[in-house]
Amino acid sequence: MRGFWAALTGELRAVRNDRGALLVLVGAVLLYAFFYPLPYLPEVLKEVPVAVVDADHSALSRQLLRMANAHELVAVRFHVTSLAEAEALVRAGRAGGILFIPNGFERSVRRGESAGVGVYTDAAYFLVHRQGLTGLAEAVATLSAGVELRRLRAAGLSDAQARAARDPAPLLLRPLFNPAEGYASYIVPAVLVLILQQTLLIGIGLLAGTARERGGAGMSVSPLAWTLGRATFYLGLYGLHTLVYFSVVVRVFDVPNRGRPGALAAFALPFLLAVIFLGLATSHLFRRRETAIQGLLVTSLPAVFLAGFSWPPEALPRWLRWGSCLLPSTLGTAGFLRLDQMGATLGEVRGEWLGLWGLAAGYFLLAWLLARRRGGGKPALPPGGLEDSQ
Amino acid sequence: MSYPPGVRATARRELSRMAAQPIYPLLLVVLPLLAFAVLWAIFSSAVPRDLPVAVLDRDHSALSRQLLRLIDASPTMKVALSVASQAEGERLVRQGKVYALVTIPDEFERAIRRGESAPVVCHYNAQLLLPASLIRRDLRGVVGTFSAGIELRRRQGGGTPLVVAMAQMAPVRMDRHTLFNPELSYLVYLLPALLPTVLQVFILVLAVQALGCELKEGSAAQWLATAGGSVRKAVIGKLLPATVHFCLMGLAMLVILFQSLAVPLRGSLTAIIVGTLLFVLAVEAVGIALVAWLANLRFATSAAAFLAGPALAFSGITFPVAAMPLPAQAWGALIPLTHFLRVLVDQAMRGAPVAVSAVPLAALATFVLVLPAVSFSRLRRVATDERFWGRL
Repeated sequence: MRGFWAALTGELRAVRNDRGALLVLVGAVLLYAFFYPLPYLPEVLKEVPVAVVDADHSALSRQLLRMANAHELVAVRFHVTSLAEAEALVRAGRAGGILFIPNGFERSVRRGESAGVGVYTDAAYFLVHRQGLTGLAEAVATLSAGVELRRLRAAGLSDAQARAARDPAPLLLRPLFNPAEGYASYIVPAVLVLILQQTLLIGIGLLAGTARERGGAGMSVSPLAWTLGRATFYLGLYGLHTLVYFSVVVRVFDVPNRGRPGALAAFALPFLLAVIFLGLATSHLFRRRETAIQGLLVTSLPAVFLAGFSWPPEALPRWLRWGSCLLPSTLGTAGFLRLDQMGATLGEVRGEWLGLWGLAAGYFLLAWLLARRRGGGKPALPPGGLEDSQ
Repeated sequence: MSYPPGVRATARRELSRMAAQPIYPLLLVVLPLLAFAVLWAIFSSAVPRDLPVAVLDRDHSALSRQLLRLIDASPTMKVALSVASQAEGERLVRQGKVYALVTIPDEFERAIRRGESAPVVCHYNAQLLLPASLIRRDLRGVVGTFSAGIELRRRQGGGTPLVVAMAQMAPVRMDRHTLFNPELSYLVYLLPALLPTVLQVFILVLAVQALGCELKEGSAAQWLATAGGSVRKAVIGKLLPATVHFCLMGLAMLVILFQSLAVPLRGSLTAIIVGTLLFVLAVEAVGIALVAWLANLRFATSAAAFLAGPALAFSGITFPVAAMPLPAQAWGALIPLTHFLRVLVDQAMRGAPVAVSAVPLAALATFVLVLPAVSFSRLRRVATDERFWGRL
């Protein structure tokens, strides 16, 4: 028990006296939480600039242009006379889409022929493509439906009958959880979980690297006490961070949050333990102070895309889908998103919860065994403190 | 073989230092290639297919079953589960077992036979934007075609010829053209952004490591002496091995992108190669500035992590720069990746005229010219003043 307390307070002292560790384990955790969401604050991409080619110059073509311009997702910014000119604007990155209305457009519609308009979108950037296409397609569909409804009513149908006749099986789309389909609401909660994991892994590795550089003077503690004592310290610190994230940060960014505090806490426990024990296990790899940052920084990017919130896990190769579950962030992100953003109960994330307990147990064993192999631990700092602290 | 003090002697000294530390092969070769491989594997399917959806068929008619078969046959969706109630379906969404719940109302077939309309409802998980947008798009297509088929049969039943009926149903048709990436492949869209992001991490970390460890280990004076006392020569010689390595790796990255991943190359390869080399130098210039002004290896490494870690989010690939708040735009402009990705996307995907890439190429060149120039005198002070040595 004395060893446990020595390890716990030793780690606390080490963090407190080490500006670099404080920067990662406290500074970065808070800084990233407010910095990373910055690009996504507008939530929804609107007013994608569109170039139009109106070769018809008719009342109907002008009506279509008005409808396109009125749509919130697109804005008619350029009027040009040929498709080539419009394409040049897209290639130069000035327009994200093209609406092409051919000569004879209104005449074809009047004659009851089907008249085509061209919609071109810039798929070099998927969000621009998606918003541009949605905006232009809805403008075209609205115009087409208006023409058809007028004809059906002219043929003697009531308004309701006309609507039923032109679309017998309409599709009603009902977005759940993130009704505005906001980008910040989509990115922020998932990235918060990843920030918790990555800063913890790097911070633990950094302190371990420092201790090894110093050769670890001071008293020895049993490997079990060393592992558990330090883990308890990190659990306390990151329990606090998790609380700040789920009570303050999600509200600051107005992200949907429906989680019950008890369920979130119950889920955070195995998640944090899994990350902490993974950190303690991997920290045996780092002989130098900077190595943890250098080696772990690059894991952030794959971890984001393996976490399942952006790229669906169903689309991963099978080996990677299973392998990704070894990262606590994969099960952690899935569980936290469903608990806090989708209002799931703890029972509805049982698989993830049990999986994280499994990871926590496995990584604990690994961390403990590695500590034993190194013949017990030493507090990261001698009781005297840091001789060359700045 | 020894050289007189200067760039060559410093480069030689750096090579022998690298050879002595096992971390270098890891950071130079193993980890970057591993990251490339994992990212490639993640997006190897290019387009997500057969995403699981649940269906609630309240009608159980031939017509409702026909619609469900069409949904199942769509490329994006797979009818994974059939549920008996709305609540059960929404629970499956919350459990993460399905991305959407499609509900067919009761009396669906009868209402349609009577000439009324019967709406199909889709509740989808809008928290997960990518599957949400794919499912929405495909479901619109499937249900739209299904609905149009019914309308067509009704009109033909009324004696209207097929061609006329088709025209009557859609007075204005939309011909859709997806420019630059017609298959909407995520591999082609994302890998040209992700590989340079990985490369930037390693270039920056290595540049900071190479320069910063001279301070940490207190060997800065000896380093300057090897270069004959010139900071410029000391830095150039010091970074030469890593620069050559990363330039080669940048070119290898282009081969991977354009040869192995079949990313289109519609514009100027020369502009892309020049951009790649400038990108490597620009990122190193950022590393020089970080070490000179922070004067501390670990602190500079943390700053490098802060810069390179979230760089992709600020680059405009996922969310366009023009739509970001001004501070985010400004921050993105301070990161070389942002400018390099503009060159790459404009030249490779869009086939833009070279003139379009002049501004981002000039921005990269500015990093290379300005940052070392404003950092060298500070670096000399830091490298010659023992107070800056041995700090952690």
